[in-house]
Amino acid sequence: MMNFAHYTNQKNPTQAVNQAVEAAKKANAKLNAVVTLVDPGEQLSQLEKYAGGKMFGIPIVLKDNVNTRGILTTAGSRILGNYVPQYDATIAEKLREAGAVVIAKSSLDEFGMGGSNLSAATGPVYNPYDLTRMSGGSSGGSAVLVASGVVPFAIGSDTGDSVRKPASYNGIVGYKPTYGRISRYGIIPYASSLDHVAFFTRNVTDAAIALEVLSGRDDRDMTSLQLPVEDYASALNPSLKGKRIGILTNVLKAITNPDIQAHFATLVANLKEQGATIVDIEMNQDLLSAILPTYYIIANAEATANHSNLDGLRFGVQKEGKEVDEVMSASRTAGFGKQIRKRFVIGSYALFVENQDKLFRKAQKVRRLIVEDLKNALSGIDGLIAPASAGVAPKLTDTSMDQLSSTYLIAENYMVMGNFSGYPSVTLPLGYCDGLPVGVNLTCKLYDEQTTLNLALAIEQATGLADQIKEVA
Amino acid sequence: MNYETVIGIEIHCELKTATKMFSPAPVTFAKRPNSCVNEIDLAHPGTLPSLNKNAVKQAIKACAVLNLEIDPLIRFDRKNYYYPDLAKGYQITQQFHPIGKNGHVSIPTSNGEKIVRINRLHMEEDTAKQFHYNTETWIDYNRAGTPLVEIVSEPDMRNAEEAVAYVEKLRSILYYLGVSDVKMEEGSLRCDINISLRPVGSEAYGVKTEIKNLNSLNNIKVAIEAEIKRQSELLDKGDAVEQATRRYDDVAKTTILMRKKEGSVDYKYFPEPNIPPIRLRKEWVDEIIATLPELPEARKERYLSIGLSEYDATVLTQNKDLSDFYDEILKHTDQTKIAANWCISELPAVLDTQHLASAKNKLTPKNLADMINGIKAGAISSKQAKDVLPHLIQGENFEDVVNRLGLKQVSDTGELLRVIVETLDEQAQSVVDFHNGKDRALGFLVGQVMKKTKGQANPALTSTLITEELMKRKP
Repeated sequence: MMNFAHYTNQKNPTQAVNQAVEAAKKANAKLNAVVTLVDPGEQLSQLEKYAGGKMFGIPIVLKDNVNTRGILTTAGSRILGNYVPQYDATIAEKLREAGAVVIAKSSLDEFGMGGSNLSAATGPVYNPYDLTRMSGGSSGGSAVLVASGVVPFAIGSDTGDSVRKPASYNGIVGYKPTYGRISRYGIIPYASSLDHVAFFTRNVTDAAIALEVLSGRDDRDMTSLQLPVEDYASALNPSLKGKRIGILTNVLKAITNPDIQAHFATLVANLKEQGATIVDIEMNQDLLSAILPTYYIIANAEATANHSNLDGLRFGVQKEGKEVDEVMSASRTAGFGKQIRKRFVIGSYALFVENQDKLFRKAQKVRRLIVEDLKNALSGIDGLIAPASAGVAPKLTDTSMDQLSSTYLIAENYMVMGNFSGYPSVTLPLGYCDGLPVGVNLTCKLYDEQTTLNLALAIEQATGLADQIKEVA
Repeated sequence: MNYETVIGIEIHCELKTATKMFSPAPVTFAKRPNSCVNEIDLAHPGTLPSLNKNAVKQAIKACAVLNLEIDPLIRFDRKNYYYPDLAKGYQITQQFHPIGKNGHVSIPTSNGEKIVRINRLHMEEDTAKQFHYNTETWIDYNRAGTPLVEIVSEPDMRNAEEAVAYVEKLRSILYYLGVSDVKMEEGSLRCDINISLRPVGSEAYGVKTEIKNLNSLNNIKVAIEAEIKRQSELLDKGDAVEQATRRYDDVAKTTILMRKKEGSVDYKYFPEPNIPPIRLRKEWVDEIIATLPELPEARKERYLSIGLSEYDATVLTQNKDLSDFYDEILKHTDQTKIAANWCISELPAVLDTQHLASAKNKLTPKNLADMINGIKAGAISSKQAKDVLPHLIQGENFEDVVNRLGLKQVSDTGELLRVIVETLDEQAQSVVDFHNGKDRALGFLVGQVMKKTKGQANPALTSTLITEELMKRKP
């Protein structure tokens, strides 16, 4: 098994780490998942300090929007093509102190703004199950490096399913905890009220261990929760006796792929067999259809402000200009991709004083209504499940999806509820369609990481799909 | 035509805190450029704001004394605009929910006290400083992120005198509270004056201009007077006043156009997502208000009650540092009036009383009190005390100075009488003169005694004893 235990049982962390580095180089030739390979030499020389750490000697990957002191951190954008941070993100410190060793910074959609990884400054990331298909995004590089067996753990970030969707496309676990559970300090943002640090593992037990390492109050992030870190891993309990699991029927109805329907039905039957009570949950269809436009307005409005610091004056790639204003404007024009500029225009438009009522404030209102509906949906159950996407990873060239269909609006975007609400949400492997993975998503109540992990473990045992690896030759 | 002037004032006041509004970088003035900054002040990617609790405390103090209603839920917003001195590309401020609103303050005017309403007080962060040289622009981020409060008055002032009185009143209050250094020349207190004219009797406001960058009370006065003159000349000619931001030019003695306000800028305000609303604990707020320091008015009342004159009480209160020093002296002496005299008349002659805390000044309140007690007890004369003072400022003890300089005042009657008898014997002509009604003779004789005692004779006692002795020698 290529899980945490597999690595920590090897008595020689240096060897395990160096093997991962070699594997990363080899896999990257096919996957284009790495922005920067990190020489682990210095970390290994300091590693003994962290003996006994929960992730001791485990090679890991960080999404390239996680600040790492002294190591290039680009957020997938040209404008940060030369940015070497002066400080470590809080999670980079926590992972180091747990004994983890960073071997690479991974590719992402520019600033995490995308679901395809096609907008990365370093180009597309390829799906290990089919190199003509997308990794998904925005945490595409991290997802494929875990899926292809290079590392057992990678950090991602999830603003609108950016970990949970690629997890589905790559047959691995993507865990997004409650908003505020993991500090965002040092994560290059997309949209602050929706951004979550999330991560990939290949099984639920590793996810529980990783959550223990990453969680905890950080005074440098005011949205960080004042809750103690729990012993998630040792408290793991997959028993479904007395558990009530809701099925989000709106999503199932929107999915046309019969293989996914069949896999999901098998899972539900299995959960029932283990003692779970299954409940159909139907949420407000109009509200679910409004998730995507609501998300677009809030996320892009916050993003346009969040990225106003990128002016080429104090850091990043600076372009020439006669006046300071010209330097700022030239640097931004050259530094951002087309998609990003489009999003800034949308975000800015929504914030204009004459538009705020009908766009930005309305979107915030709709967000509250959606969260309220989700809260009600969860009130009588322990967790809510549905397939994590309407299909397998799309072809790199595929633009055929009808973006006004409920298949797209609901089945491909409902997981953004987890970002609106901040509720814990995890995607796990559900099965394979013609050899390509698809996932199942589980969302639970605010703060209730333990139930999320317990139900996820039950699902993992039901599918038998822990520790899935697709090596690329 | 006769116009009524309408003035509203916005004051930006830097808060006295050890660290910045949203970062742990130190707040200082005039340090080496860009030495008091960290990744948050420079808006490096991934940084997040952490609210300075002490800044909130300072704002609460200011709200309390300005009679503002305090919002128990602290919320911040983003004000978006691109400018090289604004690293994040937005300023974190309190647009929608200021911490304080609907307050007022009373100001002295030539027609008695006047109430000026205060619309709001909100917290925000300062920007960096830009320096333009020929073809280059330099930016110093030390100031970036310094905690600020902005205090916005209602348009309740009607002339330059009231405007100056308002700013002076706020400065004094904020300084006494320890909320700010209020140094206009260093920019820790900055005023924007909104000013418009309207025909006397009219209710509608005229078109206003905003005068920025006023760095002294006198500048406020002259700028307002110049702007009133400029606007009334325009209106008299039938021209319109243009809504604009202006600055006062010292040389031209008038206000100069900085920029027109054609359609206001859209700052696209929205709630700051990185700072969740913070509920202030009522007990915390109550405790801050309960432990507010003494304000200038209360202090003046206290001075009057311990017997100081109106003048002394006023002068002392106007200089908080000196007044604090005076209060320290009173811990070691009950000579309130003598102590006030020394603080008001003598110290300013030899010390910079605006900066008593400077390293050059080693004068302690205890030493000055000892000296005052010495004067009262007749141990030294007031004249001797003036010679003692410079030594106290150098850090010497009162007792040590007196001993080292041999300044003991001779108040021993027997000893003095011996010298007086000797003097009168020598100055027989003066004795005759005295009895012939020449008053100056007494002064001459006292002077002679002083000379013989090298200035150590107690002058009052000497004078009394000489008079007695002269009476004995009446021909």
